[in-house]
Amino acid sequence: MPGEISRRAVIVSAAIVPVAALTAAAQAPPPSALSASQLRTLAAFVDRIIPKDELSPSASECDVPVYINRTLGDYLAGEKPAFIEGLEATDALARRTHNGGFADLTPAQQDALLTSMEDGSAEGFVNARAFFNRARRLALEGMFGDPYYGGNKNFAGWDLIKYPGPRLATTADDQKMGVEIKPYHHSAYGSADHGH
Amino acid sequence: MEVRTMAINLKPVDVAVVGLGAAGGVAVLPLARAGLKVAGIEAGTWMDPAKDFKPDEIHNNVRGLVTTVPKATKEIPTFRTSPDVKARQAAAHPMMNAVGGTSIHYHAQSWRLKPWDFKSRSETIKRYGASLLPKGSTLEDWPVSYQDLEPYYDTVEHEVGVSGKAGNIQGTLDPAGNVYEGPRQREYPMPPLRTCDFLDHMHKAALSLGWKPFHAPSAINSQPYRGRAACAYHGYCDRGGCHVRAKNSTCFTTIPEAQKTKNLTVIDHAQVTRIVADNNGKVTGVLYIRNGQEYFQPAKVVLVSSYTYENTRLLLLSKSKAYPNGLSNNHGQVGKHYFGHWDAQAGVNVTALFPMDINTWYGAMLSQGVTVDEWADDTFDHSGLGFIGGASLCAFMEKHPIAAASMGTFGRAPAWGSKWKQFVHENANRFTGAYLQTNSFPYENTYLDLDPDVKDPLGDPVCRVTSGPKENETRAAIYAQNKMEEWFRAAGAIEVLKGQPFGPALSTHTYGGTRMGDNPETNVVDRWGFSHEAPNLGMLGGSVFGTSGARNPTLTMQALAWRTAEHLAKNWKSIAG
Repeated sequence: MPGEISRRAVIVSAAIVPVAALTAAAQAPPPSALSASQLRTLAAFVDRIIPKDELSPSASECDVPVYINRTLGDYLAGEKPAFIEGLEATDALARRTHNGGFADLTPAQQDALLTSMEDGSAEGFVNARAFFNRARRLALEGMFGDPYYGGNKNFAGWDLIKYPGPRLATTADDQKMGVEIKPYHHSAYGSADHGH
Repeated sequence: MEVRTMAINLKPVDVAVVGLGAAGGVAVLPLARAGLKVAGIEAGTWMDPAKDFKPDEIHNNVRGLVTTVPKATKEIPTFRTSPDVKARQAAAHPMMNAVGGTSIHYHAQSWRLKPWDFKSRSETIKRYGASLLPKGSTLEDWPVSYQDLEPYYDTVEHEVGVSGKAGNIQGTLDPAGNVYEGPRQREYPMPPLRTCDFLDHMHKAALSLGWKPFHAPSAINSQPYRGRAACAYHGYCDRGGCHVRAKNSTCFTTIPEAQKTKNLTVIDHAQVTRIVADNNGKVTGVLYIRNGQEYFQPAKVVLVSSYTYENTRLLLLSKSKAYPNGLSNNHGQVGKHYFGHWDAQAGVNVTALFPMDINTWYGAMLSQGVTVDEWADDTFDHSGLGFIGGASLCAFMEKHPIAAASMGTFGRAPAWGSKWKQFVHENANRFTGAYLQTNSFPYENTYLDLDPDVKDPLGDPVCRVTSGPKENETRAAIYAQNKMEEWFRAAGAIEVLKGQPFGPALSTHTYGGTRMGDNPETNVVDRWGFSHEAPNLGMLGGSVFGTSGARNPTLTMQALAWRTAEHLAKNWKSIAG
């Protein structure tokens, strides 16, 4: 059976590979990957993907930008330059087409720009569609991933889609159709409000 | 990585096993029990269930961190669909590195192949004529039959621990199990995993169509087995290790069992780079790197079990005087007869939307599933259909929140904004996918070789995969998707979406490259899994398969691994020389 030596080996290997990078990240968040103005653009972006309404708070109220900023600072550090380029291009698109940065536009103006990015028709923004899809994807990770990583504040994402939450064991009653399964507001890492 | 040029010579062993995953991790047990001294050389190391396995989609699925070292991710094969185009490096490697290998985070489906899978060529010619054989295929009958392999299936099912319900015990059929399976000598060691509302619902729907649904077999404990706990159904089986050791990964089963004999030494963090052969064509051991130091592990016999891509790559990299084109490649067959399973990763997916909450969040992937087998293999008449094979169809439990929120909207809503939120609020708990696995075959123009440009950090070329879509498999996949739609509709689905089959890319279900067969002109290993050219070199894993069946491959890999190891122990003198 695995003994002390192998256990130590896991820890040693973790120091040089990204396997345990997330553990280190949660303990001591790295410096912000995005600038204040980039974060402002990002918040405006994800708040149109997941706006505040009667079903849930907005993405930024659920700390989705916290998740994205944090993952760009550690696990996705290699992707950071491309993502920043996309954010800046989104802002530049807003300034070209309107009088102001993306975050300064009305929701209707923002939606129109995002639609043009989504369908690839945004003028002068070559990678618009790829960036839109990537940013949307990261927004979903932040909204519906474990709060341990910084987003999904108060489990609002899981409540939105009726995911009852991770647990270590379930019964057939937890797998019944046509009934509401009582939510279990808990992170996989224990604390109910991990990361907040 | 800096490597010292002088390898340190180690004490010789009887058998060096390269890779302690699903196949190598099983082979070590019969070897060690027979008293042979075995070095199990593994690139990764041990994982700790309490510490390393979490119900966490970001850790398991988004980041793929259930692994111990990034070996596979630093040698990702390149891929192309045709020899005329340049291969590009794929985004990720489907396998992981640890003691236990990918048997740690797999779905643990534990199927036997069908008798037909071993004789697809001759049976097709007999029933339909040679014209129905897939065009351009290099299909051969296996040199072993289902009957030859049955005792080894039985052994592994009990040693590893498989839950299931027999459908055919020595010719007596039981509709509670799969009546289309080959005859087995006895019942599974454990009953199937528990059923639940949604599975019962799908079961009834299949019965209403006149089909014969059953609960799929899996290497997950449905009840405590040999000191390990029963499944907790927590819903993080996919790409996750089992926190209660109910999934029978080889690091919890056959490897510790082999260690008890004191005949197995596990050498972890050791990356094998070459297999060494002498001028007479016999292998003499393996070179590996551990902590930047190179070692030579002499061995009387070498068994290679490092998954399909690395099995071929290691042989092609191991050039010598006796094997100038790569080890055991004097007939030019290493890398040939490659194929990948046509399944969800190949576009063969079907999703359905139901009018009620189905609560499929928890469970154990396909292992807590219900399967239909009428449309697989040669169970149905293919006259006039234009293809052979088909697919097994499986409805299952387990769904993760990010994946659920990423569901398609069936054209009923946009992909973001308040209308989208309303849609996923109502429907994330009402949709599910199905798993279809199509019988797949090898072709003349599907093969593995070394990439001319892309190298790993050691400077060795990575594996290059050439594998394009095929007409036979496309037709079979579409046929099976229509059957799956029929099943979902019978269960009350209000929307059904079918993927466009485009053919397999890199996956955990790839085969060939060191195919098994009696003819050394078209196969690398003989019917026992030993090289036609290097008599003391054995190959384990999907790389020896000649067909895939409509099944997950692991149990067959393990039965063959056990058989190769047992054959070696029984014929030690003639093989080890």
